[in-house]
Amino acid sequence: MSHALPFCIVIVEEWLNVMQQPPLVRFEQIAVTYPNGVQALADVSLDIPQHQAVSIVGPSGCGKTTLLRVLAGLEHVSRGRVIVAPETRLAMVFQQGLLFPWMSVADNISYGLMVRGASPQQCRTAAREWCDRMGLQRFIDVYPHQLSGGMQQRVGLARALATNPDILLLDEPFAALDAQTRLLMQELLSDLRAQGLCGTMLFVTHAIDEALIVADRVVVMSSRPGRIITDLTPDFAGGRRADQVRTLPAFHAAFDHIWQQIKTEVSAQMHEGVL
Amino acid sequence: MSSSRWLSLVSPLVLIVLWESAVAFGVLNRVFIPPPTEVAVELWVSLRDGSMMDDVLISAQRILFGFLLGAIPATLLGIWSGLNRTVLLLVRPLATMLYPVPKIALLPLVIVVLGIGEVSKVVTVAVSVFLMVVIHTIGGVLQIDRRYFEAARVFGANQRTLLRTVAFPASLPAVVEGWKLAMGFALTLIVGVEFVGASDGIGYRIWQSYELYAIADMMAAVCVIAVMGWLITLILDEVERLVVPWRHTIKESRMPLVRTWWNAVRPWSYTAAIIPVLLGAAIAAQSVALNWWYLVLALIGSIAIQGGTNLMNDYYDYRKGTDTAAVKGTGGALLRGDLTPTQIFWAGIIAFAIGSTIGLYLVSVSGPFIFWLGLFSVAVGYFYTAGPFALAYVGLGEVAVFIFMGPVMVLGSYFLQIPDVAWPAIWASLPVAFVVAAILHANNLRDIDTDRLNHKRTLATVFGREGARLEYHLLVGGTFVSQWLLIGFGVVPWTTLITTIMVPLAWRLMQIAATEVEAAKLHPVLRQTAVLHMRFGLLYVIGWVVALWV
Repeated sequence: MSHALPFCIVIVEEWLNVMQQPPLVRFEQIAVTYPNGVQALADVSLDIPQHQAVSIVGPSGCGKTTLLRVLAGLEHVSRGRVIVAPETRLAMVFQQGLLFPWMSVADNISYGLMVRGASPQQCRTAAREWCDRMGLQRFIDVYPHQLSGGMQQRVGLARALATNPDILLLDEPFAALDAQTRLLMQELLSDLRAQGLCGTMLFVTHAIDEALIVADRVVVMSSRPGRIITDLTPDFAGGRRADQVRTLPAFHAAFDHIWQQIKTEVSAQMHEGVL
Repeated sequence: MSSSRWLSLVSPLVLIVLWESAVAFGVLNRVFIPPPTEVAVELWVSLRDGSMMDDVLISAQRILFGFLLGAIPATLLGIWSGLNRTVLLLVRPLATMLYPVPKIALLPLVIVVLGIGEVSKVVTVAVSVFLMVVIHTIGGVLQIDRRYFEAARVFGANQRTLLRTVAFPASLPAVVEGWKLAMGFALTLIVGVEFVGASDGIGYRIWQSYELYAIADMMAAVCVIAVMGWLITLILDEVERLVVPWRHTIKESRMPLVRTWWNAVRPWSYTAAIIPVLLGAAIAAQSVALNWWYLVLALIGSIAIQGGTNLMNDYYDYRKGTDTAAVKGTGGALLRGDLTPTQIFWAGIIAFAIGSTIGLYLVSVSGPFIFWLGLFSVAVGYFYTAGPFALAYVGLGEVAVFIFMGPVMVLGSYFLQIPDVAWPAIWASLPVAFVVAAILHANNLRDIDTDRLNHKRTLATVFGREGARLEYHLLVGGTFVSQWLLIGFGVVPWTTLITTIMVPLAWRLMQIAATEVEAAKLHPVLRQTAVLHMRFGLLYVIGWVVALWV
């Protein structure tokens, strides 16, 4: 069926029918309204199965980040519920890293382990291992402010992955980086996935290309209050390197498809005078 | 800020001189206002007999106990208030209300309750320290970015872990800031307390000298208080570095102190200070026998002023924020936090003082011309990065360096040997002036992009990259061409042509400067231009010396 469609895209509507396993995370008709009356999310349902990397894109202010924060337990739902498989460990990579400035790179990386009661030796070993993997060997005892933005975000990624999470949440992690560093970070993330790290992932971004490159599945949200308007799985996804994906015609087709949707959303919003 | 710093450097010296002479000429009555020399003698005597140290130690002890008694509970309570709304609502209004009350006004009350003993003095200090630290700490905790708490919570931190790993360390910078303010306040307060209700201590000493009309002793005690205040600042800077290491430092790369200072004063830059002095003497040696004593003094003075200039540049670059970690500058001691701004500033002052003292001596032996040259050189050194019209920031850095490190210094050194403003000496200094300006320009060429971002105006940022390259070529080329022309006119001896062996290096540097744009690739050009300056300068001087026999 996938070959019958233009753009080689499979639009998946009924995930539960397709997937045999119960999902790792299920958002069930959730809505979030902030205390100040702003409705961030309206009726969002989304299943994230094990070992799937899901990107969420949408116009700015559409509640993508809110969805992530709900899952991380930093935001309460006003309606609906979030079901997470028992014993699921979460880890999060924040915008601009959000490293603790008072901790060295090593202490930042092993923070999650330390909180869970790992010994100082275990923490140090993990920090060293992750510094090696991320090319940060020379910076292990440096403070975050002495690192470039890209290096800081690598530490942020290492801090999250060092806890060996079942699902990795990323909140526009590369948004503050310059264009080249961004590309490098996207490749790093694909490499890590290829190594079988961060298998299940929820990746929030405003960049369509990034969403397509990093994830297996892309969820497009409407403008505020956010709803899911498209949920697609490009068939080039999975296992291929970021720089290869970028050259595929299917990549550009998917990109245009998503961009048209977002553009429609944004122009509708403009007509309503929201923007 | 910068111009007041300049005044704060000059005005005490001027004041001391005026004061001393006013007493000497009978304008001021020696009985009421003794001259600085008398105060210095009094200070020396009181230090020798140990009475001054006794008073200092007693006051220091009161400050320390009062500080600990106030600051420790205040820090804990402040952090608690910052984290717990109920405690905040209980503590903050009270602290804010009591804060503006002059604490010295509480002393009688404290004495009524606790008696006139040691405890009441310590408690008065403690109360004021407490209020200051509590208010600062609350402010610090409330200002912590909430997202740090969120990040920690996502990683599973419980309330206690949050306190230990986020709230406490994140509020430390504000806490230490509060400690610093409170400590300064404690010093002020203890003097007031000792005026009224004490029989020892530095404040008591001042008051007693007043009652005995021992004015010189009183002034000596005031000087000692100033030194105490300065020491307290130094100690607290050190404490800050220990407690808040992530603010400026690299944890494990603290260099040994000697090495740190060695780097801060940048001895390798001293060839710029040495070569003009040597050149001036070498030119003078063509016609007279050298006064070696003057030459050595001029060298030491010149090195001291160069050192002071380096330190002041670091200080003001740091204050103005142009030297960031991105700049591969040599004055990195401040950036790495190995030395505090205060230490750098005072070291600069001391270096200037040594330079000025030598300068004054040389003035006394060779006349006012050297005085004006010296004044001019100190002014250039200081205003290079300080003050509202800092030369380096308005694009006059190269011009200032060209004139000062070239003709002015060479002529100064020449004048010490032969008191005559000789044009040949000025002409002969030009090649050295070109190459020394080229060093600075290589620096500006390298930093052109970062300087633009920081709105630091240099000739390079004004002319743009192409213009800046041309300027580098003119300066390096000018070094050799001016020398050759001067030889042609017979002003400079032909023996100096040994500098020609430096042409290949100069040529290479000009080529790199013409093609590279990256700061990292241009950095070697800077280092090599400094090498070029040193070697060219030494060869040029040697050429002049050889001319004595040829």
